Amino acid sequence: INPYDYEEQSVQQIAEQQQRASPSRPSFGKKQLPTIPKNTAPITKPASPATTTQSINGTHASYGPFYLEYSLLAEFTLVIKQKLPGIYVQPSYKSALMWFGVIFIRHGLYQDGVFKFTVYIPDNYPDGECPRVVFDIPVFHPLVDPVSGELDVRRAFTKWRRNHNHIWQVLMYARTVFYKINTMEPLNPEAAVLYDKDVQLFKSKVVESVKLCNSHLFDQPKIDDPYAISFSPWNPAVHDEAKERMFTHKRRPEDHHKGLQVSGLSWVKPGSTQPFSKDENSQQS
Amino acid sequence: MMMASMVANGNRDGQALVLTGVDPETCMIVFKNHWAQVVKILEKHDPLRTTNHLVSGLGSIGLSGSHVRFGGPVPGDEASAVQNYVEHMLFLLMEEDAGQAGAMGPILEFVVMENVMERLFLWSLRRQFTDDMKLEQLKMYEMIVGQARQPLLHHKPVLRPLMMLLSSCSGTPTPRVEAELVLLLNQLCCVLAKDPSVLELFFHTSEDQGATNFLIFSLLIPFIHREGQVGQQARDALLLIMSLSAENQRVAQHIAENTYFCPVLATGLSGLYSSLPTKLEVSSEEWHCLHREDWLQMPALVQFLNSLEFCNAVIQVAHPSIRDQLVNYIYNGFLVPVLAPALHKLTLEEVMTTTAYLDLFLRSVSEPALLQTFLTFILLHRHENVHILDTLVSRVNTPFQLGTVSLALFRTLIGLYCEDVMLQLILRYLVPCNHMMLSQRRVVKERDCYSVSAAKILALTPSCCSPEHSPPPLRQLDSILWSKGNESKTEESCLEDGSGHSCIIGSEIYLDVSYLHYLYDARLGISSCIRACRVWSAPYDGEDPPPDEYQASLELEWDDSYDAGPPANAETTAAERPAQPLAPEPPKHIQALRRTATMLVKGSYIEESDFQDDVMVYNLVAKKDVRDTLDGRRSSQETESKGSETESQLNDNGHGFADSSREVQEVPLSNGLSLPLQRATVEVGSDTERSKEVKENIADHNSKVQSPTATDIGDELVAQYEELIRTLGGGEVGAGTEGREPFQNPIVTPTEEDEMDFGSFSVDTPEVDKHAPSLFGTKLRSGSARSQPLPFTGPFVSVLLSRLENMLENSVHVNLLVTGILAQLAAYPQPLLRSFLLNTNMVFQPSVRSLYQVLASLKNQIEQLASTRKDFPELITSAQHCLLARESSLIGHGKTMSSPPQLKTISMARTEVFATVLFTEFLKELAAIAQEHSILSHIPMEE
Repeated sequence: INPYDYEEQSVQQIAEQQQRASPSRPSFGKKQLPTIPKNTAPITKPASPATTTQSINGTHASYGPFYLEYSLLAEFTLVIKQKLPGIYVQPSYKSALMWFGVIFIRHGLYQDGVFKFTVYIPDNYPDGECPRVVFDIPVFHPLVDPVSGELDVRRAFTKWRRNHNHIWQVLMYARTVFYKINTMEPLNPEAAVLYDKDVQLFKSKVVESVKLCNSHLFDQPKIDDPYAISFSPWNPAVHDEAKERMFTHKRRPEDHHKGLQVSGLSWVKPGSTQPFSKDENSQQS
Repeated sequence: MMMASMVANGNRDGQALVLTGVDPETCMIVFKNHWAQVVKILEKHDPLRTTNHLVSGLGSIGLSGSHVRFGGPVPGDEASAVQNYVEHMLFLLMEEDAGQAGAMGPILEFVVMENVMERLFLWSLRRQFTDDMKLEQLKMYEMIVGQARQPLLHHKPVLRPLMMLLSSCSGTPTPRVEAELVLLLNQLCCVLAKDPSVLELFFHTSEDQGATNFLIFSLLIPFIHREGQVGQQARDALLLIMSLSAENQRVAQHIAENTYFCPVLATGLSGLYSSLPTKLEVSSEEWHCLHREDWLQMPALVQFLNSLEFCNAVIQVAHPSIRDQLVNYIYNGFLVPVLAPALHKLTLEEVMTTTAYLDLFLRSVSEPALLQTFLTFILLHRHENVHILDTLVSRVNTPFQLGTVSLALFRTLIGLYCEDVMLQLILRYLVPCNHMMLSQRRVVKERDCYSVSAAKILALTPSCCSPEHSPPPLRQLDSILWSKGNESKTEESCLEDGSGHSCIIGSEIYLDVSYLHYLYDARLGISSCIRACRVWSAPYDGEDPPPDEYQASLELEWDDSYDAGPPANAETTAAERPAQPLAPEPPKHIQALRRTATMLVKGSYIEESDFQDDVMVYNLVAKKDVRDTLDGRRSSQETESKGSETESQLNDNGHGFADSSREVQEVPLSNGLSLPLQRATVEVGSDTERSKEVKENIADHNSKVQSPTATDIGDELVAQYEELIRTLGGGEVGAGTEGREPFQNPIVTPTEEDEMDFGSFSVDTPEVDKHAPSLFGTKLRSGSARSQPLPFTGPFVSVLLSRLENMLENSVHVNLLVTGILAQLAAYPQPLLRSFLLNTNMVFQPSVRSLYQVLASLKNQIEQLASTRKDFPELITSAQHCLLARESSLIGHGKTMSSPPQLKTISMARTEVFATVLFTEFLKELAAIAQEHSILSHIPMEE
């Protein structure tokens, strides 16, 4: 079994969850105005001139949260698109500004490490600071604060630039620090010094740290949230079926679309911009 | 008579009960006994005994219908005795089970050996072969075919008399016989469908009789277009044969080659169409398409739709050879000779009616091959050298109901998610990417990560309509708990004490709840569109199809009367066409466009006949353009512009030249035209040759434009053109927005790049592409641009935007249609379309009018209006209530021709108030679509 299959799959799963989590509203016709109770007399309260409608940037304040929510959703879809190896994230149920994540380290000094983390996104995103990454358990690493578990992300994103910087880059960075060790201006000086002076000791400390982290893998999530990532030992009753579904789904991705009635039409020959240019349509014109 | 009534009463069950206990041998004995009695009577009246005249099967059929008597009348008691016996015999036959291994049961074997059925048929022929007799025989077969426990039709002695009976019923039977005949035929087809082996026998029997027809089939054809139950049964029966044909080459071949099935079907459509009313009685002004409730009350239309539905079904199930033939006949026998002329009738009402029919037909047809036929007709057929599509597009701009009905037709067309339609309507004008600044090509695929476009669209909300201004029942500003991740301090403390990370705080924010509905609708709309467009041949993302490859082809295809000028000016420039040697007279559709555009000339409604005078047309158009330009300039001077003087000047010029619209004053918003001069001038040197040419062209153009009445502003126009040339000179002007808009900002400080040091970062990031120098492109562009006419996004977009532009004068219903169509278009996932309609940061060529520009100009008109009318806020509120009531009444009763009473009472003065409310809602709709695009278009769809 290729672990990458699982990974890809889980990311998709997460995406599905995400979609399901989006608010499901009853369908309404176009140009829907909210309904009012019947027999309500029209209230013609003169608009108070005091309330100016335009807030900063010329947008209405009441739409601000929508922009934020969709910006974060867009970031999340970018993460899915990137298919970052060994990294899974999932926005929390309670807030789109907090994402739960886990990194699997496949090789190198931190091989076999499974590190859970949380991403905190500033609420003035994308115009604020860069998102923060905090490991559940402080991993022994020069760039990870030994007390808080926070990864030094800011060194890579000195200034967060909208459009240029994306959250997937932060996640990518969080993964890379485990493969390419940087000891400059460390948050954990002990680790930095050891890496530079006594790699063997550093290695053994890392192995210890990885062991510690993995021993807490099945712990309850640190943050109580329905979408928090939690691990459990393999339970055939639960996991076999899920695994089966993942793999069958993967083999026949097209099947899902066949039953759908919504289908477009095209008689355009690929590579042409002529209508009805497909060969089978020679009978007319 | 007895037997017929007994059969009709269907008291067979009682008999069956009696028979269940009886052993087969007894049955056989009874049957033989009865037959012996019958034969006695039959022989007594056998004409062979009295005369020597031999009646052969076919010979007697020739006499069908006439009253044939042999040897005098049969006494009544004898006739009824025979009936009684036969009745019992048939029951015995029906109830007999097949023998072992499918062998005939003894009774059936006897029937076959003794040729019982044929002799009974001849007997009935010998008596008066009246309708009653036919009915009797038909019902007899109907019963045994439908209810026998063993297959009877496999045996010639059963089948042959049946065929004789059937052919005796051909010709012009009476309604009673018809009904029974079709019922029997339907039943036979059911048997055929279940047991195709019988089919061969039907063919063979026909051949034996010297007839080459597939009799059952030929008999059904006359009933194809019949209304009522008989027609329906006949069509059902034919459909059974059609699905047989899909499997059976011989049947297919026979139908296609030896029958008139396809021509009858297709020409039948023409016949039925001719009996449709040529003018519809339209109940209200807002009516724009035929709903079910409407056509159910028009029997002729119901009948037509039945036949059309039948064609649809045949095409669905029949053998490809039949399908192709039928589709061809429909094209050449109905669409071209009947529908095309009908679409070009003389009066507006007739044309409107035809358009409404066409729309209804398109909505009724579901089978791709048939849809393709209709669409080929619309997209490719030329009537009097003009494409049907061009004619239809040109009519959208008619201020009469024809315009609204045409809009409804396009709503249907766009709703088909058909690549060919979208290609012809819009995409082929966008594929070459000439409508945007060259630098913008790489922006096409970009998505709006931060809802910038949505914010810009919503920022156009008129101040009188902002959510904060409306009283509670109209805007639900519900407080929603909007959770946030916590600030760092508390969070860190949480980490330390490990007391669970419940560090989520909620803040209450007032939200426009109706916007959530728009988001939901947008999500549904876009997802189904994305799903539907999976079958398309290309993504239309500015790279595939490659823009440069399709530059030339477009020019060849497109009638350059359109290209000669920007959309709104097309009419003006067309004025010079007649003088040119290549085009002695503008094509009809151009004339039509010109006509309809002219009819739009504000305030002046002119009878159609007046438009015969071309000179007058040109004058009117020129007047309109001049006035609009002047209006635009005046208002732009009045309006205080936030932008720099140069910028506003440029905007002004661009607009005045581009589309003579009244949107000029919206300086900071019309981003498409905010081109910083310092950049523009950089490359002028390299492009001088081209600039010169453009200059010449424009000067030429200009001289003609002003010739009718516009001499007074000629100098101003020249000045505008000169400004324009300067901007065109710099191919890279698009990058100009960089400073203001972070979206355009590709610059990365080198230190950052070094520090990051992730090769993978550059993979797949759209931002990286921005570094690519576009000098290459610039060259290419300037080279190819020489032969290029002014950029144009096609007549449909042009016409649609100009209807939107008139939003404040439009009725509610027109506005609902126009905004509905635009929202439909905006939901298409193709980046070319999406970026053109929704990306407010795109920089378009000055001659291209964007949706955003039109919206911005509308906003300004509304603000102006609101400032001049004190009671505007109250009017808005009551209009909102009115629309709400309309909405709920629509939800309650479904859409009908009759309109809710409230809207009828609107005074004309209030049109603009309603338009304002709709405008605000439309902004939300568009913004919601833009937002959903940013998260939907790029996810591989999972279910």
